[in-house]
Amino acid sequence: METGVGSAGAPARVAAAVLRVLDRLLGSLAGLVLATMLVVVLAGVVLRYGFKTGLMGAEDLGIWLHIALIALGAPLALNGPLAMRLDILVSRLPPLPQRLAGIGADGVSVLAGLVLVFGAGAVMEMVGGTSPTLGVPEALRFGLPLLGGAALLARLVLCRIAEGDIARALAGPVLGVTVYLLVGHLVIETSWPPSVWMALVAGLGLVLSAPLAHAFLAAAAVAIAFGSSLPAPAILSTTVAGLSKFLLLAVPFFLLTGALLTASGAADRLVRFAASLVGHRRAGLAQTVLLTGVLFSGASGSSVANAAFGAATFQPELVRHGYPPAQAGAIVAATSVLDNVIPPSIAFLLLAAATNLSIGALLTGGFVAGGLMALCLAVAIALTAGDHGRMPRVGRDVQLRAALSAVPAFGLGLIVVFGIRIGVVTTTEAAALAAAYTLLLALMARRGVPGLFGVFRQAAVEVSAIGLLIGTAAPFAFLLAVDDIAGVMQSVVTLLGGSALAVLLLSNLVLLALGLILDIGAAILLIGPVLLPAAVAAGIDPVHFGVILVVNLMIHGLTPPLGLLVYVVSGVTGVPASALFRAVLPYLGALLVALFILSALALVFRP
Amino acid sequence: KTTSLTVASLLGEDKPETKIWRHIAERVESRMPGRFRFNIVANGALGGEKEVAEATRLGAVQASLSTVSSLSGWVPELQILDLPFLYRDAAHVARVVNGEIGADLQARLKAQNFVATGFIDYGARHLLAKEPILRPQEMVGRKIRVIQSPLHTRLWSGFGAVPVGIPITETYNALSTGVADAMDLTKSAYAGFKLYEVVPVMMLTGHIRASGVVYFAGSFWNGLSPEEQQVLSDASTEGAAMFDALIVADEEKSVATALSHGGQVLAVPDIAEWRQGARGVWDAFAPVVGGQARIEAVETI
Ligand code: NA
Ligand code: NA
Repeated sequence: METGVGSAGAPARVAAAVLRVLDRLLGSLAGLVLATMLVVVLAGVVLRYGFKTGLMGAEDLGIWLHIALIALGAPLALNGPLAMRLDILVSRLPPLPQRLAGIGADGVSVLAGLVLVFGAGAVMEMVGGTSPTLGVPEALRFGLPLLGGAALLARLVLCRIAEGDIARALAGPVLGVTVYLLVGHLVIETSWPPSVWMALVAGLGLVLSAPLAHAFLAAAAVAIAFGSSLPAPAILSTTVAGLSKFLLLAVPFFLLTGALLTASGAADRLVRFAASLVGHRRAGLAQTVLLTGVLFSGASGSSVANAAFGAATFQPELVRHGYPPAQAGAIVAATSVLDNVIPPSIAFLLLAAATNLSIGALLTGGFVAGGLMALCLAVAIALTAGDHGRMPRVGRDVQLRAALSAVPAFGLGLIVVFGIRIGVVTTTEAAALAAAYTLLLALMARRGVPGLFGVFRQAAVEVSAIGLLIGTAAPFAFLLAVDDIAGVMQSVVTLLGGSALAVLLLSNLVLLALGLILDIGAAILLIGPVLLPAAVAAGIDPVHFGVILVVNLMIHGLTPPLGLLVYVVSGVTGVPASALFRAVLPYLGALLVALFILSALALVFRP
Repeated sequence: KTTSLTVASLLGEDKPETKIWRHIAERVESRMPGRFRFNIVANGALGGEKEVAEATRLGAVQASLSTVSSLSGWVPELQILDLPFLYRDAAHVARVVNGEIGADLQARLKAQNFVATGFIDYGARHLLAKEPILRPQEMVGRKIRVIQSPLHTRLWSGFGAVPVGIPITETYNALSTGVADAMDLTKSAYAGFKLYEVVPVMMLTGHIRASGVVYFAGSFWNGLSPEEQQVLSDASTEGAAMFDALIVADEEKSVATALSHGGQVLAVPDIAEWRQGARGVWDAFAPVVGGQARIEAVETI
């Protein structure tokens, strides 16, 4: 029966009204939590320099607030670009199969919601302990994910009713609940490791166009039936642990900075200045974005943060100057790869921690590799983005005026670059200072408090969509680690006899394959210590190999199905991920050329 | 029938943290062939100490090892082992954990689902800085990187320093740029994180003896027969002893590495004045760790 579709009866109107109230409430709370997070991190800096003291528990408090923020905002990312649905396949189906796929996708979301609700409930009962720094029960940390899961379920049903599709409002939940009950009781004997099943189920969810994060959670739940070592409460706690890193707090702050920079008009003036310098050249504005990205990389170690910032700040400007939205987003996504290659870099720090490589040597290698990648990107941009947005050449006086009006935006660069370089603040604190500075700019531009709160609310929702994805990738990484996928990789790499060429070739292939499905942090921790000994045995310089490893894995931010950087840009700009994946191909090619050159150099320069 | 258990280790295959589990698995296999399959996951791939401890309570991990500091959220009394300048040397710590206090802590851990089969010693924590800091007065106003722990924060603010909470992954960067001027760590971790590149001077303060435990999940343990429990317990007691020996060897190697990279190792002239400055921590934590009397009892053991 298709009668319900499209009709806007009384239930639909009521559901829509309830939905509006719920969304307003969740969004406002998330915005409030984001503002509190900013205050907490800034208070740490003020206390340190103003009062020569630290804020006890500030780090943990920041992390708890981050979890709360993601739990509150995540239910809002059910529709729209923030859902990170891969709709390449489903959008080409005829109506009936498409509708069935929609119900399947809803089932995946419901299953994810159930894992959140019941997983968090169980964790709250089982985890015990008191936070030594905050003095409150650790169980509290999981209370908001429980509420977030409940809100997700409620929103899903309300959305379908509001769309007038009562049948789908019922079918999705029935499917989700059935699968949830089944995996709790079913034991399927199989010779394949649970992580493989998890990958297959997540892939199925992806094909059905379910939100990526929901597909991850649902797949982790289904893997229980296949002997997964993560029971439902552990799925939830692993997800939360994946989010509980202080460094990740830089992501919301840099995202907020980008939004406030735009809201204050400073971004506009910065780009106008850049355009006055090189706008008349071939792909001038796009090259400016690349150059800004390189400069930004020298201050930030998080590609996700840069992607979010660039997507909020530069993508709209590129579009305004005539670039197609997908290409503009692709340039931003490709440029943000550099963040984790050009020091400081979270990726190199992780690699150095997991292996015995010198951080100093790795970072030097990062400069060289980053420069090479930037060069390759510049060529690709010149070749592909040439004819958009050429502007007339302007005189010196116009340039000078544009430079003066962009001074406030330069101040931001100073804060971030010098704050970290001179050693006043950590990366996370620099991000918070940047956000505070742009907040001041926006206040001075008289944007008004209600308007600014809207910026906080929007940033909070974007943060939670990205954060949920980072968190839900963690259970997958956990299962891969338990199944010793790393060990399998090691035997693959030495397959062809273990000569330097063979090891480099196979390592790159393994990394390229693995990076498709693995988060970069998890991949480095899992694979770094495993591939490195094989490379050293083959006579390759370990630091050089480490750089190749990070560059290779970073490139995966741009590849489907799990190109995190592409999803971040998609989430912030509203351009569908599938369009971005297509548009990013030339830049992906350029980065692969850089990787090839780096690998060739490793064969030439042996220790 | 074979029972699989997932064992989490924070560091790589060449580190004591992982090596002892390989040893424990071997010992158990020789006494009960085919009964257990140890799936040892190294390199912190399953998370940090606290996440692994949580995963143990939730049934995802069956065994691991941890500093007592990371378990103090469940058993605050463990912090008696972290009290600064309370322990004279490794033998002193060993007498305490093998005595009445150790047994009491084990019972408390067991009530929280952690069956601690052996105590381990990560070595003493020493002060690390860019320049010599020999007297406690020289700590005033310095920014010192601390782990997220009220005990550590309290210790350094007691000396007039400014504690800055920085995760270990960001520590190298923060020290090289100057967000922090100093930190403290055990000798073996010092070389492991290449920190001699940024804080080349090690002062042998030995202020806190980093103790830890080898533990199994209570839920897993309770499903075993007394005989199986005995075998696992014996093997991990051996493993714990092996850990302590490996750490001592690792410390020597670590110091040699630091020295060969331009590091300096300095003794502090008057340890008593450092000790005096840390007394505030004892007073503050006495109610948590079982009273002033217990602290005094430890002193005399
Ligand atoms: Na960077
Ligand atoms: Na990818």
